[in-house]
Amino acid sequence: MSEPKMQLEKIDDYRWRIPKSYKPGMLVPGLIYASEKLLESIFQDKALEQVANVAFLPGIVNNSLAMPDIHWGYGFPIGGVAATDIDDGGVISPGGVGFDINCGVRLLKTNLAQEDINDKLQDLIYRLFSDVPAGVGSSGNIRVGVKEEKEILIKGARWAVEKGFGTEDDLECTEENGQMPGADPQAVSERAFERGKSQSGTLGSGNHFLEVQVIDQLYDLEACAALGLNLGQVMVMIHSGSRGFGYQICEDYSRKMVENLAKYKINVPDRQLACAPVKSSDGQAYLGAMRAAANYAWANRQCLMHLTRAAFEKIFNLSWQKLGMFLIYDVAHNIAKIEKHTVNGQEKTLCVHRKGATRAFGPDHAQIPERYRKIGQPVIIPGDMGRNSYLLTGTDKAMQDTFGSTCHGAGRLKSRTAALRSVSSDILLKELKSKGIIVKASGRNTLAEEAPLAYKDVNQVVDVVANAGIGKRVCRMRPLGVIKG
Amino acid sequence: MLRNYEVLEHTADIGIRVKASSLEGLFKNAGLAIADISTEKLKIINPEKHKIVVTQKADNLEELFVNWLNELLSVSAAEGLIFKDIKINQVNEQLVDAVITGEHISNYKTNIEIKAATYHRLKVGKTGSLWQAEVIFDV
Repeated sequence: MSEPKMQLEKIDDYRWRIPKSYKPGMLVPGLIYASEKLLESIFQDKALEQVANVAFLPGIVNNSLAMPDIHWGYGFPIGGVAATDIDDGGVISPGGVGFDINCGVRLLKTNLAQEDINDKLQDLIYRLFSDVPAGVGSSGNIRVGVKEEKEILIKGARWAVEKGFGTEDDLECTEENGQMPGADPQAVSERAFERGKSQSGTLGSGNHFLEVQVIDQLYDLEACAALGLNLGQVMVMIHSGSRGFGYQICEDYSRKMVENLAKYKINVPDRQLACAPVKSSDGQAYLGAMRAAANYAWANRQCLMHLTRAAFEKIFNLSWQKLGMFLIYDVAHNIAKIEKHTVNGQEKTLCVHRKGATRAFGPDHAQIPERYRKIGQPVIIPGDMGRNSYLLTGTDKAMQDTFGSTCHGAGRLKSRTAALRSVSSDILLKELKSKGIIVKASGRNTLAEEAPLAYKDVNQVVDVVANAGIGKRVCRMRPLGVIKG
Repeated sequence: MLRNYEVLEHTADIGIRVKASSLEGLFKNAGLAIADISTEKLKIINPEKHKIVVTQKADNLEELFVNWLNELLSVSAAEGLIFKDIKINQVNEQLVDAVITGEHISNYKTNIEIKAATYHRLKVGKTGSLWQAEVIFDV
């Protein structure tokens, strides 16, 4: 028997409310960014119930937010944003960050046009597939010892740059400069070190990927000019996270917080929402460990970019600088951060959880690089391997309405098993080839599980955030070559 | 080999339902499901086998069940081993003690990475004479 459909209050064409009265225990309403069409797919799973559950978190302010790419996760929905007031008992929840801490995406430009790479695309994709370690448990070529691993946790992407795997410029174009302060290696278990040591410089599996793309539409000409972007320009997108290191930290602290829920007198409707006050010793320990994992992920993406640049150099016989392979930006989309925001006219210090959501700070914000102050923070939205991806910028409206947050991708529509039933990898490969897209995947089922039909149309998702004003379209890309873990 | 678990639909992740006539069987079947979901055997490159003792405690059966699965995932990833042989020495509502035998990961192709077992919609219990558990893995 199907469960009764939740009644949502329509605010406008792109926003819907779950009233606080929906469930006793909700401290704030739920607020969903979606079009009527996207809402149909959102209703197909239990994501909205999870938005309501997140509203139970002690100290939560304004709304439990859901972005238009929302789908059913565990505890938090994927595409969820929740901010808690740390001076009012506000909590931090490892489930509100997820197992893949600082899963994120970076976008780099090139000075190549599509016609410059058409003849070399196949060689390039095969070279990238061989040189950039992908897949489950794959080991990186960049090996580190335990002592160095601890250094990575503190220094993040800076560690990689000091090793010669990038430049200061790369760090400036990375959220938190690729080095989140407050990381605490002492708060990390030995097991996490064990799980992480062989995986630096690897992509990971499933939806983790590296794509060679081409810009097929420009929206904001001023921002494109500022970023040096043009129609037909070749771009590279890298999607990865903190791998086994982050998973272990999430597991260690979820377990601890489940055990300590009674100690803090916290009631949550799902144990995966287990949490502790930010200011408690458990909250502080998790924050320190989570930041260490975030730094690990930034070092990882910096290494992956280095390997990508080197692969391009081999194929084109030119240095990456001559190929114009400069980083546009790197964003985290699974993270919790302590940020200042205005709540009911008062500045508050909040713990903002972005679980499958991207920071989208508007123009002039002090925490975005000087070079982007005029246009706002670049926001990178990967789509599926057959359709599009986007570059957006953050907005003032996002600062006011969503704690400076927006969507993070297309969002899954079908389960992996449903995708496997719907499409065969061979047919999909042919279909993508007929569209001029070359794909290499390391897992047997990865291709079918990650098929475009398993995802919402990213164009619809971005339409919502653009129309609701919580992200501004800069340009759109389409894939030419895809490497899937 | 006949599967001793069913796959449950979940948009982003993978859920399983496991049944057994004893609590030992339930823990064993769920543990074996991990390797079955995520790997397929190739040829034997490294014939060495490693025995590891796993002991987990929790306040209640459901949390014990998740802790057990997460320990298997964690040991598997840290040691580079795939567990196809599980012997439960002792299990009750608050403690599980087992010997797991792992084969080297190079003998296997890994198709999907299970990051962790979650508490979301977790169910462990006994109906009549049958033990049953449902758990969602983050993949």
